[in-house]
Amino acid sequence: MNWNMWFPLLLIATSLLPGLIIFSLAEERVRLRTLLNLSGALVKLALVGWMLWGVYQGHHYETRLPLLPGLDLVLRAGPLSLLFVTLSAVLWLVTTVYAIGYLEGSPNRSRFFGFFSLCVTATIGVALAGNLLTFLLFYELLTLATYPLVVHRGTEEARRAGHTYLVYTIFGGALLLLGTVWLYTLTGTLDFATQGGFLDDLDKAHHPALIIIFALLIAGFGVKAALVPLHGWLPQAMVAPAPVSALLHAVAVVKAGAFGIVRVVYDVFGVEFAAGLGVLGPLAWVAAFTIIYASLRALFQDDLKRRLAFSTVSQVSYITLGVAIAGPIATIGGVIHLVHQGLMKITLFFCAGNLAETLGIHKVSEMDGVGRRMPWTMAAFTIGAFGMIGAPPVAGFISKWYLGLGALEAGQEWVVIVLAGSSLLNAAYFLPILHRAWFRKPPEAWPHEHDFGRKETAWALLLPPVVTALLALGAGLLATAPFSPLEWGKLIAEREFYRP
Amino acid sequence: MNEAINGVALSVVIIWPLLLAIPALHSRLPWPRHLAIIPAAVLLMLPGDPSLELPWLLFGTGFGLDSETRWVLAMSLAVWFTAATITAKSLRLNSAHHQTTTLFLLTLCGNLGAVLASDLVGFFTFATLMGYGFYGLLIQDSNESARRAGRHYLIFLIVADLLLFEALLLAAYTSEDLHFEALDGIMANASSSQSYLWIVFIGFALKAGVWPAHRWLMAASRSASSSSALLLGGVPIAMALFGAVRWLPLGEDAFGISAMIILGVGAMAVIYSMLIIFMRTSFNMWPAWASVAITGLFIATLGVALSYPDVWRQYEYFVYPLIASVGIFMAVLFFNFSRIQRTHHSPAVALPRASILSLWTEQWFDLIQRWVNRRLTGLQSIWRVSQLKMIKQNQRMLNWQKSVTFCFGWGVRITLFVLLGLALAWLAG
Repeated sequence: MNWNMWFPLLLIATSLLPGLIIFSLAEERVRLRTLLNLSGALVKLALVGWMLWGVYQGHHYETRLPLLPGLDLVLRAGPLSLLFVTLSAVLWLVTTVYAIGYLEGSPNRSRFFGFFSLCVTATIGVALAGNLLTFLLFYELLTLATYPLVVHRGTEEARRAGHTYLVYTIFGGALLLLGTVWLYTLTGTLDFATQGGFLDDLDKAHHPALIIIFALLIAGFGVKAALVPLHGWLPQAMVAPAPVSALLHAVAVVKAGAFGIVRVVYDVFGVEFAAGLGVLGPLAWVAAFTIIYASLRALFQDDLKRRLAFSTVSQVSYITLGVAIAGPIATIGGVIHLVHQGLMKITLFFCAGNLAETLGIHKVSEMDGVGRRMPWTMAAFTIGAFGMIGAPPVAGFISKWYLGLGALEAGQEWVVIVLAGSSLLNAAYFLPILHRAWFRKPPEAWPHEHDFGRKETAWALLLPPVVTALLALGAGLLATAPFSPLEWGKLIAEREFYRP
Repeated sequence: MNEAINGVALSVVIIWPLLLAIPALHSRLPWPRHLAIIPAAVLLMLPGDPSLELPWLLFGTGFGLDSETRWVLAMSLAVWFTAATITAKSLRLNSAHHQTTTLFLLTLCGNLGAVLASDLVGFFTFATLMGYGFYGLLIQDSNESARRAGRHYLIFLIVADLLLFEALLLAAYTSEDLHFEALDGIMANASSSQSYLWIVFIGFALKAGVWPAHRWLMAASRSASSSSALLLGGVPIAMALFGAVRWLPLGEDAFGISAMIILGVGAMAVIYSMLIIFMRTSFNMWPAWASVAITGLFIATLGVALSYPDVWRQYEYFVYPLIASVGIFMAVLFFNFSRIQRTHHSPAVALPRASILSLWTEQWFDLIQRWVNRRLTGLQSIWRVSQLKMIKQNQRMLNWQKSVTFCFGWGVRITLFVLLGLALAWLAG
C-alpha cells in the first residue's frame, strides 16, 4: 500500500475535522475549542514538514478520487503547491493564536472558528489541487467559507461588505467556470501538467479561443487576486475582524487568486505557450497598472486597515507581474513573493488589530506617539513596513531583487521602473505612519484604551506579530539558507524552465 | 585559529550594537553607547587583514578589514566615540532617551557594517540601516525645523537608495560575484557600464549632499543638535564618499565624456560654494557650504580618476586616508559651529516651507541669480518698466509680467551656467 497517497487527504482533514467538530461545540467550551484548533494546526504543520522533506527528496504525493466520468478529484503535492501549503499552515497556526486572544469574550466564537478552519481547508485544497476542476471546487468552497467571516460582526457595514464580496467573487467564479468548461471541451482534460502546460498539441485554429479562455480564467482569478478593476471588494472587506483581514490578505483569498493565475500560466497554458499566444504582455501591463494605481490610492487613506488593503492590492500584483514577465528569475521573484508578502502583510494586519483592540486606534491620524506606548507592536509593524518598501534585509527586498533581475533578463526594463515607482509610493504611505508612531508626541488620552497592566497588550495578541515579523526578517536575512522561500522558489523555477 | 578569531571579531562588531539596541538590554547597562564601540576598537587593533565570508547571509555576503578600510573604521570610531560622550549627558534629561539610544546604536551598526562589508549587497543593506537610523537622530529634537530637515533628508535618502538598488540590479545582471574586488573589472567593461556609472554617481551624490543636490545638507546643518551635527559630517557624508569609491569602477577603464562631466560638476561645486561663502551666506551656513566645496573637490578627484585610470592606480592608496580626514574635518566643523550657535543662543533658523516642486528642482541657482540681479538692477528695472508701460494694470498682463520675470531669472541662471562651463573648459584646456 502506498502511504504517500494519503498525505494530501490528511492535510485537508487536519483542518476540516476540527472545523466540523467546532461547529457543534457550545460557546462556553473554550478549552476544547482551543485544543482542537491548535492541535489541528500543529499536526498540519508536522505533516507539511514531512512532505516538504519528501518532495525535496523526489517523492510524489498524489490522491486521486473519481468524481465525474473522466474527471477525478486530484490532490497533488509538488514544489509549487507545497510553497503555498507551508505558508497557509504556518500562518494558520499563528492566526489561530491571534484569533483566540482577539476574540476572547466575544460572541459566536464556535461559528467563527468553524468557518476559520473551513477557510484554511479550502485554501489547502486550492494549493494541492491537481487539476482545474479540483481547484475550482475548493476555490468556490473558499468563497462560501469566507463570507461568514467577513460578516462576522453582523453590523450593517459588515453585511454590505459581505454582499459586495459575494457579488464580486460569484461573478469571478462564473467566469472561471465558463473558462474551465470551454477549455475542457477543447482539450478533454483539466489535469495540471507537471512541467509546462497541456495545450501545446492543440491545433492553431483554437488559438483565438484559447486567448478568450485565458482572459476568462485570469478575470475569474483576478477578482480574488484583486487585479484592478476587479479589486473593489477588498478595501470594503476590511470591516471584518483583524484575524479575518489577516487571513484574507495574507493567507487565503487573495493568495488563492494569485495562485490560480500562477497555475493557469504555468500548468495550464505553460509559460512558453502563453508567451507565444501573446497573452503575457497584457497581463504584465494590468499587473503593473494595479501596482501603481493601488499604491496611489493607499497614499490617501486615513483608515489604517484601508491603507493596508490597498497596499495588498498593489503587492499581490507583484506575483502576477513575476509570472507574466516569463523568465526563470522573475518566476522566482513572483512565487517567493507569495510567501514574503504573506508574512509581511499578516504582521501589519496583526499590528493594526492590536492598535484597535488595545488603544482604539483605527486611523493613521490617531497614531501619534503610539510607538512609545506599544513598542513591540510598532517594532513588528516597522519591520513589515520596511519589507513592503523593499528595504534590505527584510523579505520584500529579496522579492523585488528577483523581480527586477528577472525583468532585466527578459529585456523588460520598464518593469524595473514600475518597481522603483512602487517602492517610492510604498515609502510615501508607510514612512509617515512610522514617523507618527515613533517621533510624534503621544496624546494625553488614547481613543479607547484597554488596561493590560504592565504589558503593552495581551500575550496572544503580541506574540503573533512579533513572530511573523521575525519570520519576514529571517526570510530576507537567511534567503540562501536551505528550505528558505528563495531556495524553494529556485526549485520551482528549475522544474518549470529547465526540463530534463 | 586566527581565522576563527577574526571571524568572531568581525561578527561581534556588527551583532553587539544590534543587540544593545534592544531597550531592555541597554537600559540595564552603564554607558551602552561606549560599550557598543569596544568590539570595533578591538578589531582595529588586530593585526593582518581579517575577513569573514557568510554564504548563507542575504545572497552570500562577506565582511573584511584591510589596510585601506582601517582608516575609515578608525575615523568612524573616533566620531562615534565623541558622539557617545557628548550624548551621555544630554540623554539623561531626555524622556525618550531609550529610543534615541536605540537609534544611535542602529545607526552605529549600519555605519560599521557598511565600512566592513566586502560586497555591494552587504554595503547597501547596512547603509540603508545607517541612513534611516540617522534620520531618526536628526529629528530627535522634534521641533519644526528638525522635522523639515529630516523630511528633506529622507526624500533624498529614498531616491538615492532606489537608484543604488537599480545599480545593484545592473551589477547582479552583469556579474554573479558582487564583491567589490571582482566587480570593478567586470563593470568597467560591461555594456551597461555608463548607466551603472551614472546611477551610482547620482545615488551617492544625493547621499553626500554634493552640489546641486545639497538642499538636505543645508537644512540638516541648520537644525541638527550638537551630536547629530558631529555625526552629520562623519557618518552620512563620509560614508557616501566611501561608498562612491567602493562602487565605482575606478582604475579600470577611461570613461571619457562621462568622467569629464563628473569632473566638471565637482569643479563647479567648488567654485559655486566658494562664491557663496565669500559673497552672501550667513555665518551659520559656513560648514554646510564648506562641506559642499569639499565633496565637490572629492567628486572632481573621482572625475580625474575615471578619466585617467593610471593616475588612480598610482594614488588610490591615498583615497581612504583622505576620506577619513574629510570625515573628521567635517565632523569637527559641523560640531563646532553647532556649539557656537547654541552658546550664543541663536535659535535654529526656521526653514521656509518648501513646495514639492522646489524640492525636486532645487534652488541652487537662486543665490547666483540674486548676486547677478544686484549688479544688473538698473538693466532689469528698465526692462521691467518698459514691460509695465505696455501692460498697464490689466490682470492678465500682470500674470504675463510675472512669467516674463521668471523667464528672465532663468535666462540669467542658464547664461551663468554656460559661462561657468565655458570658463571651466577654458581652464581645463
